[in-house]
Amino acid sequence: MTDDRRIEQEDHDLIRRMAARDVNALDAFYDKYRGLAFSLVLRIVGNHADAEDVTMDVFWQVWQQSQRYDSSRGKPAAWLITIARTRAIDCVRSISRQHTKMENVELQNGPAGASSEPEPFVVADIRQAVREALETLAENQKVPLELAYFEGMSHTEIATALGQPLGTVKDRIRTGMAHLRKRLKAYL
Amino acid sequence: MRHLQLTDELQEQASLYAVGALSERETADYVRHLETDQCEVCRAAAMELQGAASLLAYSVAPATPSPSVKARLMEQARQSVPAERPQPALRRPGWFEWVAGAVAVGALAALFLVVQDNRALRRREDELTSRISQLEVQLVQQRGLIATVTAPQNRVIDLAGQGTNVGARARIFWDQPGMNWVFFVRDLPQAPNGSVYQLWFVPKAGMPVSAKVFNTESNGLYQLDIPLPGGLNDLKAAAVTIEPEPGQLQPTCPFALLGAGE
Repeated sequence: MTDDRRIEQEDHDLIRRMAARDVNALDAFYDKYRGLAFSLVLRIVGNHADAEDVTMDVFWQVWQQSQRYDSSRGKPAAWLITIARTRAIDCVRSISRQHTKMENVELQNGPAGASSEPEPFVVADIRQAVREALETLAENQKVPLELAYFEGMSHTEIATALGQPLGTVKDRIRTGMAHLRKRLKAYL
Repeated sequence: MRHLQLTDELQEQASLYAVGALSERETADYVRHLETDQCEVCRAAAMELQGAASLLAYSVAPATPSPSVKARLMEQARQSVPAERPQPALRRPGWFEWVAGAVAVGALAALFLVVQDNRALRRREDELTSRISQLEVQLVQQRGLIATVTAPQNRVIDLAGQGTNVGARARIFWDQPGMNWVFFVRDLPQAPNGSVYQLWFVPKAGMPVSAKVFNTESNGLYQLDIPLPGGLNDLKAAAVTIEPEPGQLQPTCPFALLGAGE
């Protein structure tokens, strides 16, 4: 069994146990994916305090909805990331306080625990593959993708922001995703 | 509506959905299409593209939340799980438990009887099914027989009982073009021990030819469907004699039944 499949199997087991109300499974799942979820949430919401609140909400939602998880809809990690992104975008949309979004998270000096911890090899491998895939993506495809995914902008808002026709934006998102799917097929 | 194949337009919609670029209303419509319409084409595309989109999370700089996040999460999770109830000490079952037990045993016994009845019914069903099949075969044969005896080309030869068998009767339905006899006997007592009845074709010229050795049933009935030998369609008579077992090459004994063929 490959590492990726072993990890996926472990994740399925953890979700099954969470569905059976095993708090130790939640403990393990959180330890496994807290970095990935928090990183994404922090990238979207732009500040630690909100990012930590949202991260807690994300794993609480995973715990509450573990009984409804449908493996036919995708891997557990993808499910978690989808929840994380959605809650982070919702937070940005509902927030009324003004927080300065960090341009470069790597330069941030925040409260204890903000620095990243060493990652498992599999995660580092995926991270490297994704970065390489994005580097091969045309800029006019990468920008709309990132605006949609990390900023929560709709295709209409992106077209307005970039001053491009709506059809062009849609087509570039489609071709950009097709390129990513092809490059990262081994990790899907 | 379910789609039959993934077009560029459907791929575009799935891509927009996967990266979250649809408006709220478009997202709701798309989710409804996936879940209510259960469009497998779009569901497969959306799942794969959502998987690809989720990998974008690996492109951001890694970071770790403070330990307080886990502490709050686990505290909340533990409070959400009901505490285990202590096992009650073993005690003697009360009258309610006895009644419940008796009802359960009774239900099991009733179930056993139902299963047994079921088996008996199934055996009976098999027997009846087999009997029906036999009757269906007989019915087909009888219908064939009726068609044969009522065919317009048939000649009829009536045979009258002779000697001590004066009460017996027989009838032959002779299909001349088809060269076939259908032979019915009634009220002919069973042949005595050591003897048999023998039916003869009696041609206009030549010696009688043996058609069949037989015995009637206890009710005096007998039925036979027999082809005529080649070249034997010009008959003078039909006859039945009583012969010693196992029958003879030529008639040796008195007639039991006799009828003219023309």
